[in-house]
Amino acid sequence: MPIPDLIIVGDRINPGFKSTNALIENEDIAGLQALAVRQVQAGAHYLDVTIGQRGSDDPQFLGEVIKALQDAVEVPLCFDYPNLAVQETCLKAYDPAKAGGRKPIVNSLAETRMEMLELLKIRPFEAVIMASEYLDGGVPKPARRCEDVAGVARRLSDVLIRDHGFAAREIFVDITINSLVSDTRGLTRMALDAIRQIRRDPALRGVHVIGGLTNIGNMLPPLEIDGVRLRHIMESAFLTVAIPLGFDTVMGTPWNPFVILPADDVVLQTFKEVTELTGMDAIRRLRKLWAT
Amino acid sequence: MQEQKSATLIQRIADMQEQEAISLAREMLDQGYDPIALLGHCREAMEIVGARYEKGEYFLPELMLAGEVLSAIGSLAKPLVQQRSLSMRDAGTVVIGTVHGDLHDIGKNIVTFMLDINGYNVVDLGIDVPVESFIASIREHKPQVVGLSGFLTVAFGSMKETIDAIAAAGFRDGLKIMIGGGQVDETVRNFTGADAFGLNAMEAISLCKGWIKG
Repeated sequence: MPIPDLIIVGDRINPGFKSTNALIENEDIAGLQALAVRQVQAGAHYLDVTIGQRGSDDPQFLGEVIKALQDAVEVPLCFDYPNLAVQETCLKAYDPAKAGGRKPIVNSLAETRMEMLELLKIRPFEAVIMASEYLDGGVPKPARRCEDVAGVARRLSDVLIRDHGFAAREIFVDITINSLVSDTRGLTRMALDAIRQIRRDPALRGVHVIGGLTNIGNMLPPLEIDGVRLRHIMESAFLTVAIPLGFDTVMGTPWNPFVILPADDVVLQTFKEVTELTGMDAIRRLRKLWAT
Repeated sequence: MQEQKSATLIQRIADMQEQEAISLAREMLDQGYDPIALLGHCREAMEIVGARYEKGEYFLPELMLAGEVLSAIGSLAKPLVQQRSLSMRDAGTVVIGTVHGDLHDIGKNIVTFMLDINGYNVVDLGIDVPVESFIASIREHKPQVVGLSGFLTVAFGSMKETIDAIAAAGFRDGLKIMIGGGQVDETVRNFTGADAFGLNAMEAISLCKGWIKG
């Protein structure tokens, strides 16, 4: 069953994908434009954009890429750099008029890099806020408990809404999705709990909850079940559990078959049981999917 | 009889029969089986697991589970070998760790185990290791090889940072650096400035053997 109202940020313009890396290395602008068009045709509402290290080393090329992408598609772009200088290049190159007047997304702000707010001098934007790290008395710490994630989401959203005039719907809280195949520490369970906790917080009413969905299936065996790749079914399993909790925005590959799985689906069952386990027991349960 | 048991042990480890493998190893050791020979069987079993992984019959979870069995059997056998093996541990010294920002340790633990039973003196710094800890350990242990591990793509930046810092501290020319993890390849090796990359523990052993000639 397809998923209504799911917001999709297409994640393919990223050198982490080998085919995209080749396009960037060859400066194949037409190829990058085609990749943008393909994502929008597949249902992307925004396109995430990073050309990796090249973006810092060669701002002029990054600017060219952004202009070319906006010539090809009308959806807003989401600039994926944790770095003020590169974001400046992105926001200066961005033309809202080519996106129906819509703001770009800065991906991402974090409690450890609030200087990113200086970018508001260039133009208004929507923001991904990274909830996987936070400041504890000035010291950066990884958020390992769902209270940490929900807490940093609340503090950052407060600042954006109260001090900088953001609307709640312009904020995307990134709860961080990890690879299930190596999740011995219950990080997926923690992310699911954090979604629930964020949705219970009245101060966070109206914000979006986003996550990098491609991660969930990273390094899973390249198996197929009824003609669908296991990693894609696992993405749907995450969505099937996370959407009822309040997850509403996917950073992912738009042509993957995002669906709500039936309750008796074997991958969904596995996902639910694995996320109740930690340590090697989680890995043993996952392995039952293909080993007898 | 013992030969039969050895073959069964290798097969059980390779076939992911975890509990059966560990109890058989315990039984063999209790009956006075040579612990060094037993660790040798673990190495053989791990080679089978590695080969099945290469062929696409096994995947990351099987490597993780095999690593778990190895460390369980290792903790049974190692107390029994300590006295004897100290004298033969002269294959070389390797400092290893998962670079900062990354908490994954399965691959690194398997490499540590395999280097260990191949006679290397391994200094395992653990996970999320700060650059300064690598430098301090290199200063103290003077390894011939440094192994940097990382599963996440963010680890590649940390690997580069670590290698740059080793160079800045003046140690780069005196040692070899290998990187490993699920997603490393020649592009990553080139980006980080490492001497080589490896995709499994067996490759790590052959790199060390090639670099440290007796």
